[in-house]
Order: sequence, then structure tokens, then C-alpha cells
Amino acid sequence: MLHWIQYIRGYVTIKVWGYSAERLLNLCGNHDILVWGIKDHGDYHTMNISVRGFFALKPLLKKTGTRAAVLQRYGLPFFVSKMYRRKIFVIGLVGCMLFWILTSGYIWNIKIDGNFALTEDVLLDYLEEQGVHTAMKKSGLQIEELERALREDYDIITWTSVQLDGTTLLVHIKENEMPEYDQSGQSQNDRGMDLIADRSGTVSYIITRSGVPQVALGDRVEKGDVLVSGAVPVYNEDTTVRKYQFVQSDADIILRYGEDISVEQSVFYEEKQYTGEEQKIYVLGTGDREWSLRFRKIPYAAYDSSEEKKQLKLLDHLYLPFTYGHKIVKEYEITEQKHTEEEMKTLMQEAWDKIITTLDEKGVQIAEKNVTIKKNDKKWVLTAHMQLEEAAVKLAPTSIEPVLEEKTQDETPVE
Amino acid sequence: MLGAAIVTVTGNREALIENYKGILEYTTESIVLQGKNCKICFEGKELSIDYYTNEDMKISGMIDAVRYF
Repeated sequence: MLHWIQYIRGYVTIKVWGYSAERLLNLCGNHDILVWGIKDHGDYHTMNISVRGFFALKPLLKKTGTRAAVLQRYGLPFFVSKMYRRKIFVIGLVGCMLFWILTSGYIWNIKIDGNFALTEDVLLDYLEEQGVHTAMKKSGLQIEELERALREDYDIITWTSVQLDGTTLLVHIKENEMPEYDQSGQSQNDRGMDLIADRSGTVSYIITRSGVPQVALGDRVEKGDVLVSGAVPVYNEDTTVRKYQFVQSDADIILRYGEDISVEQSVFYEEKQYTGEEQKIYVLGTGDREWSLRFRKIPYAAYDSSEEKKQLKLLDHLYLPFTYGHKIVKEYEITEQKHTEEEMKTLMQEAWDKIITTLDEKGVQIAEKNVTIKKNDKKWVLTAHMQLEEAAVKLAPTSIEPVLEEKTQDETPVE
Repeated sequence: MLGAAIVTVTGNREALIENYKGILEYTTESIVLQGKNCKICFEGKELSIDYYTNEDMKISGMIDAVRYF
């Protein structure tokens, strides 16, 4: 306590030498000047004295024939005056502290964890829609509401936990691992669903499970033709339609159609050759902006640039809105090269394999194929005449209107 | 006794003196104080005065002897 008072009021360490230091001490005592920490160093004494006491010391020094010199100043009055001389430093220090306090009130980084089916981009876009983004105030964040909104808007998310760690927003989610079945189809049954052709072709296979088939094996159909009708007629005795029972059509139908695919591959190609010239440019950025620490133009006609950026962060999770890094600019020249025969064969084979894989992925099967390759000095052309088979059908609401009856009868759909 | 000096010695490390008139001599080996009727001498090594006011003072160091004369 005493130390604090002494510190706040300020004190000095002085060195006293001369005829009689003891007399000076006695006079100090008589004048109620507090001295402490008195030490004898042989030729001189050192002691601590309050600032006010030091100013009152002058006549006493004269009287006793001693002299005093200040060795060290302590306490708040000296500290303040020292800081006053170092204005820029103090302003910088205070500014720095304000900066930390202000920036730590914002979110500078969003991390998402536990997502498999939902990509990070999708979730970040969703958060943006919800008003959660980087550089937003922490106080504007409603964690519980955000958790609830995530669960409600995405059926696949079964568990959420949003937490703030420093300036980082951590979003943990758990996705439902069980596949979801679409059960919405049943509700559309009231109106009936047709199966229609998704493309032109010849019916090469048809088995109907529900609905009325409108085409037979070997029939030629155009895109949009109804293949299986979802309206099942119920006839009167005079073979007129009494009413329709609407069902969701279900059938295995395969359409066969011809398709020509051709792939061109030029013998010549351009190759980048790096000249070995490269430059490193340091970049600083904040938000979307970026500044290069280079003011001259890049002296290359053609170049690749690769960039490495890091976000400034303090400790583990305190991210700041600044990025730093460097860009490496590599010069290259384009030279024209020619593929060898072997290379061309491999390239053609790769192109062909790619076509087949794509078709396979779409569920298209090749029934027949006839592949030819034409070569000349400049390019090779692969042409394939193919007969493809595909279950190219889709569901569409039936266009048949229900027969209006005077008295409504039981019209529940038949499964 | 009215006006007599009160000397409180704690071990051989500290001494608190009240009611003294003044200091006569101060070195690291000895401190001589003036009491009402007699002088008090503290002898020892590395003696220093922790504080010194009109009413009391505190001495610390290795005190070997306290002598009245």
C-alpha cells in the first residue's frame, strides 16, 4: 500500500555527500520530510525521498554544507512526463490496443466441419444468406438461431454445433448417413403420370408394370411421345369410357437410336517452354483487394503466375483481415510441336475411352458400332457410327382430362 | 519514564527506535543516536536505515551490539 502511494506521488533516489549527512537527516526529521532506504557508501550516502521533500531539501543542504544529486527518478509523475515526450509511441500503443479490441469483436474466419454431401461453398453461401459472413460483428451473431436454421433448412443435417473460438466461427454439422427416399411421387397420383420419350428412337424393349402402353416393340417414337399413359380407362358396357383411373406409370422401356460421334485431334500442338526467368513479387491484401509490392510492369510477354497467400493470425484462432504472401511469375515461350504416330494413337484411344465412359455413366449401352480413323498430315479424325440403347423416358403429368360425371363416384387411384 | 527512548530489537537483524532526539553518526559499522539522557550506539555490519522520521526510525543489518553511554 505504502509502495503504491509512493509510486503515485513519485520519489527520487539521491546521493548526499559533504560535511555531515547525519545533521541533514536530523533536519529532515524535524521538518517532517520522510526519507527511507538510507545507505552508507563510505564517501557518500544514498537515500529515497519524495518529490515534495526533495524540493524542501534545498535550504537544509545549504545549512548543513552538504550537496545532493538525483540518481534515479521513480513514480507516476515521471512516467507521465516521459510518455508525454514520446507522444508517437504512446499514440501507437493506444492505437494498437484499440485495434486489437475492435478487431477481436468481429468474425474473421469461418470453418466448417463434418460436411460430406454438402460442400463448403454451399454452406458458406447459405451462411451468407443468413447474414453470417466474415468481417461481421460477433454481437450480431445468433448462434442458437443459426443452429436451428441449419437443421431446419437442410433435412440432411441432423446435428449442428456453432461455436466461436477467438475470431473464428466453427460450424460443426453431422449429416444423415441414411439415404433419403423420395416419397413425394405418391401425392402426384391424383392426376396420373405418363411416361414420355426423352428422345427419338425405336422401342427395342418394353415391359409395363402400371399404366397403359401406347407403343409396341419396334415402334418408332419421337421425343415427347407418350409411351405409357397414366390414365387407365374404365369402360361402360357400350365400350365408351366411363371414367379414368389415374396411376403413376411404371415401365422398363429401352429406346434405340443411331448416333454419330466424331473426334478430331490435331497433329500439331503448342507447348509451353519455361525460359527459366522468374520473379518473386510480394503481395499484401485485405478483403478482396490486393496490392503487389512491385510498381514496374512485368517484363515478360507471356507468363504463368502462381500465388501463395496466408491470412494473418494471432495464436490459433484469432484471424485478422489481412493476407500476405508472394506471387511467382514465370516466363514461357510457346513452341509448336508435332505428335509422333505412337502419341497420336494413344491420344485417339484416350478420346475414344472417354466417350465410352461418358456413355456408360449416362446408362447408355452400345448395341452396334462402326469406328473409322482418317489420318492426314495435319489431323486425325475418328468417326464412330453407333446404335445406342438407353432408357430415355421421363415422367410427365398426363394430358387426359378426367371424364366429368354428374355424380362423383369413388375415384381413388389404383396403385 | 517520560521521554526515554524505546528500542525494539528483533533478532539481530532489525531494530526499531522511537522517541530519540537525533542521529549523531551513521556508517555501515555503527549508528549512534542521541536519546534524552544518554547516547545509544548500534554496532554491526552492513547497517542501513530503512526509514527515518521525527518520531521513529528503523535500522536493519547484522547487529552485533547495542551500547548505552
